Amino acid sequence: MKVACLLVADFLVALARRDDTSLRGRPVIIGGSPEEHAAVVACSPEAVAAGVGIGTTLRRALALCPKAVFLPHREAVATEAAGALLDLLRLYSPAVEAVSPGHAHLDIRGLAEMAHMEDEAYLRDLQESAVNATGLPLSLAAAETVFAAHAAATVRAQGAVLVHEGQARAFLSRLPVEVLPVSPVIHQRLRLFGLERLGQVAELTLSAMQAQFGRDGARAWELANGRDDARIVPKPEEVRISEELDLPAPAALSEPLIAGTRALLQRALERGELKGHSLRRLDWRLGLESGEQLTRRCVFREPTDDPARMLFALQPKIERLQLPAAAVSVGVTLSGLCSEYGHQANLWQVGPRRYKELLEAVEQLNARVGGPQVFRIVEVQGWSRIPERQLGMVAFGP
Amino acid sequence: MVTNSGTAAGDGRFRPLNEPSPAAVEATPRGAPKAMLWRGSYQRVVAVHDTWRIDDEWWRDEIARRYFVVELESGRRVTIFHDLVRDLWYQQTYEAPKAAAPMGRKRAG
Repeated sequence: MKVACLLVADFLVALARRDDTSLRGRPVIIGGSPEEHAAVVACSPEAVAAGVGIGTTLRRALALCPKAVFLPHREAVATEAAGALLDLLRLYSPAVEAVSPGHAHLDIRGLAEMAHMEDEAYLRDLQESAVNATGLPLSLAAAETVFAAHAAATVRAQGAVLVHEGQARAFLSRLPVEVLPVSPVIHQRLRLFGLERLGQVAELTLSAMQAQFGRDGARAWELANGRDDARIVPKPEEVRISEELDLPAPAALSEPLIAGTRALLQRALERGELKGHSLRRLDWRLGLESGEQLTRRCVFREPTDDPARMLFALQPKIERLQLPAAAVSVGVTLSGLCSEYGHQANLWQVGPRRYKELLEAVEQLNARVGGPQVFRIVEVQGWSRIPERQLGMVAFGP
Repeated sequence: MVTNSGTAAGDGRFRPLNEPSPAAVEATPRGAPKAMLWRGSYQRVVAVHDTWRIDDEWWRDEIARRYFVVELESGRRVTIFHDLVRDLWYQQTYEAPKAAAPMGRKRAG
């Protein structure tokens, strides 16, 4: 086994039911109260059976499922729980890819041998540890490919399942077409063709699937045949730089807060980790005498490493603050690190004046080299079955 | 009335894309590929994933090709075709690149 997929089905609902056991077995809709002008963020299978889906308005959800329990979307709680689950998985595997909250893929090659355990026992142990640590109902599946592991975890509501080497195709053949990572429209069309299981898709020819569904069809055919070259891509750890400053005296006006923030930004940007990088995000914190904390976030339209530009974006937010108590400390956290930012304009979407300049430049280049150097790809006979007739390159010019 | 752009016609201003390139292929007596010269050495064809035939333009320069999507022993997938008119083998990507959006129109999404 090479890859494992851990999945908490209906993660937000599972979290709510973990925290309030009386919700078990009852339809749960998350997104807010039905009076709000908002949409459903997540719902339990009981609500789905009543016709509710993600994106349904809360009012309509109430009409469809009057017995449902409506809960607010506690995003911070969900993010924290998802992060805790990932932290737990990182104790087991060096490569963990977070797919979505409550859904992760992990590389488990050789880990069972290292623990001197059989594959099945290792997988069961991992699943039980995750259940005990999180209190969430989760399924864990392992296979040779990412898709086989993912599909196995999707169809298994809880527990651990191992797809043995060489048996992926046979295992997949029994699964419904809905496990394929293609659009719901394609799932529906496959059903209309009478294709309900992956085994039926696998028996078709690649060209037939490609002709009907294009690139998605070819991908679906390959996955149904157990071919999947997807690799686990762990998210690199985000660099976050934080600086704190205790104000010399409690402050209620904006000037000392701005001065303190300026000093903090300069100190943070001098840190070695940020050399040669720009930043996308600034989180600003203000500690109050009452013990409360105020936070503001600035996301820069263009990444920057200039403290003056950062302060320019933040200053109006500080000036608008109406403090309930005097401030005693200021803090900043810089994140969203990226390489030094340059402006790259789109060559083909320029205004008429720039377009004329562009034409001139291209003509100059052609004259210097002695032939067309810049081309555009154009459709020649898009309907042709002969590949080299479909597209061509035409010299860019008037 | 079309204005004269002053640009010379021809002169390398149009180039076809995705032209087939000659390939050295060993085939069985029934015409199925069994080995292909790939980067200096012959590699065995371990699987033929798909095959189809194109017959066209019989009224002028006839085109008759039998395409094969083959997997070589190194794991690489290659699309090749047998030109049945000239009895030659070629390599060609069947899925051609996308055409550029027309000038001045933003791409959707």
